[in-house]
Amino acid sequence: MRTEPTSLVSTSQNRQSSPVSDAYAVLIEQPISLYAASVLRLGYGLLYLAFLLREFPHRREIWGPDSPWTPALATQLFDQTGWFSILTLSDSPLYFEGCYALAVATCALFMLGWRTRAMSLMFAIVVASFHARAIFMTDGGDNLMLLMALYLCLTACGRRWSLDARRNRLQKSTVGCARRLTRLGSNDLWCNLVATRRLLVTVLHNCGMFVIAAQVCILYGSAGLYKVQGGLWANGTALHYVMNLDLFQPWPALSHMVDSQQMLVAVVSYMTVLVQVAFPFVLFGRLKYVFVTILLGMHLGIAILLGLPLFSGAMIVADAVFLPDRFYQFLGRACRRIFSPPTPQDVEALQTGAVGAVGGDMNVADEAEHQRALPAGRHPL
Amino acid sequence: MREALSSERDGRSRLLESMDSVDAWRPGRGTAESATSDQTPTKDESDPASDTPPERSGTGFLLEAVTGSTVVLCLAASLLHVLLVFLHVAPPNAVSERYSSQINGWIYPLFEQSWRLFAPDPESVTRQISARTMHTSPDGTQQVSDWFDLTAVDESAVEHNFFPSHTTQNMLRRAWTSYLELHGSDDRSNSERALMVQKYLRNIAANRVAGHRGGTFEAIQLQVITRPIAAPGAASSTDGAVPEPPAETRYLPWWKTGPDEN
Repeated sequence: MRTEPTSLVSTSQNRQSSPVSDAYAVLIEQPISLYAASVLRLGYGLLYLAFLLREFPHRREIWGPDSPWTPALATQLFDQTGWFSILTLSDSPLYFEGCYALAVATCALFMLGWRTRAMSLMFAIVVASFHARAIFMTDGGDNLMLLMALYLCLTACGRRWSLDARRNRLQKSTVGCARRLTRLGSNDLWCNLVATRRLLVTVLHNCGMFVIAAQVCILYGSAGLYKVQGGLWANGTALHYVMNLDLFQPWPALSHMVDSQQMLVAVVSYMTVLVQVAFPFVLFGRLKYVFVTILLGMHLGIAILLGLPLFSGAMIVADAVFLPDRFYQFLGRACRRIFSPPTPQDVEALQTGAVGAVGGDMNVADEAEHQRALPAGRHPL
Repeated sequence: MREALSSERDGRSRLLESMDSVDAWRPGRGTAESATSDQTPTKDESDPASDTPPERSGTGFLLEAVTGSTVVLCLAASLLHVLLVFLHVAPPNAVSERYSSQINGWIYPLFEQSWRLFAPDPESVTRQISARTMHTSPDGTQQVSDWFDLTAVDESAVEHNFFPSHTTQNMLRRAWTSYLELHGSDDRSNSERALMVQKYLRNIAANRVAGHRGGTFEAIQLQVITRPIAAPGAASSTDGAVPEPPAETRYLPWWKTGPDEN
């Protein structure tokens, strides 16, 4: 197997080793950043689940038939904008409770990666429905979650850290193309169809990941460039005004303390603009790790200081798309070391090299697979 | 073939390969051809003619054509989508004005977005929205209630809360800014959308007053007090002599409430 798979890469390189053909090979052969895609699935599934559960006491006020934004108003707006929501199909309170329960279950299953492709479609429908039903109550975080829910349908976001991956791992008998072949006889068409499907899934995934990455760049770029046009960001006092909005002041004492540091406010205001504008341009080098760290700090600050954990969470998960598989594999190993000390069986398994039997999230073969698949130094994003 | 190749590896990694790795089973290639090219990569490299199979089946060729065009289509759609999102987000310009119908046709409603997060300038005012209600008794006398501070309820719900609800942070705030966008300083609803938002704002106020204070009423009125946030210097150098910045109070017309006013 080691010698086999680079068939197209090697042949295309033999034929003409141009950047275009290399890029084409990357596009169609290997799903890029599978870990990042899975982190997005976990992150947005968890965030929307947390959102739904947090609003449980207010669910009728936000999405229910007795909401101030009445079903009549919502349908009227849908007629104007072309939206659709499962929530306005019936005014029955019972139907609404059913939809809410369905949404909670969908988010949980999507997060866990159970039948991920089907669940990703369900998740997108749920998020779009709930978003549209309460469109006048949404903020930037909701907007980002909706976009990501739509884009994640395109990706193979269930390949890592998911129930699907676990099930595939535990299935002893692999029914791969070769097996089916021997069973069905040399079925040329069947194999072609399997290969075609795999190729299309890969292309769709890679296009989806590209769109997600580009979307995050557009987000930061425009957020930064719009701030550049503002006088308060220019004179470094913008954060003073942000921190004095009463609705974004869950900890008034903390807000006042930060606000009293005029130098700090000016520096952080400037940093915010600079980091946002520069973000799309630093993604292709190592500097991106510094920027992602700064943004992480900024968003944690926003979450606590302004009381916007959902918005910040959505942003942090979006940033995660730029971290390489290497990083997540390292993270997975570190987590496993911390949370589950190796059992005697594990040690034995490691010694005999049969790591595949260990029920962890990843194993050595898995990682080797990926290191081989991505040529050294070529990082997907 | 796979069994032979993976004899030294466990079933787990074989599965992964069949799931994730680049597969030799390329569309358009006969199975016999794939099998040989797997095992003899060196031949593949030395003989450039060998990567085009000598004969293709009709279905294989068709599949290759279909996949090829799908790949191109996916790529083109992704690039076009990103371009349209960019034009939607960017300030109005010659390109976005010329192609506005195409851009809007693609972006709305699903991909609508705005990332003016506290930009170009954050709001430099705070708004306090209060409501009072009117009840007409059967004998025709009208009773007007005291003002009920809706914003104060929201603020107290946000305070010391790690995860404030959208109902407190966004509902009333965004309803009012939407009303302001659609009405300006005039309280007549000149568009269908304006009327819808006016009803929404009225419903929020009516629900809140009914929920918190109870009582029956047939009409409701809102009062919005807009206070500028003091500039940073003013707040820190305060010694009591700095006057409060002037507040602006706006009274909205009385709106009828009731089950028939959806």
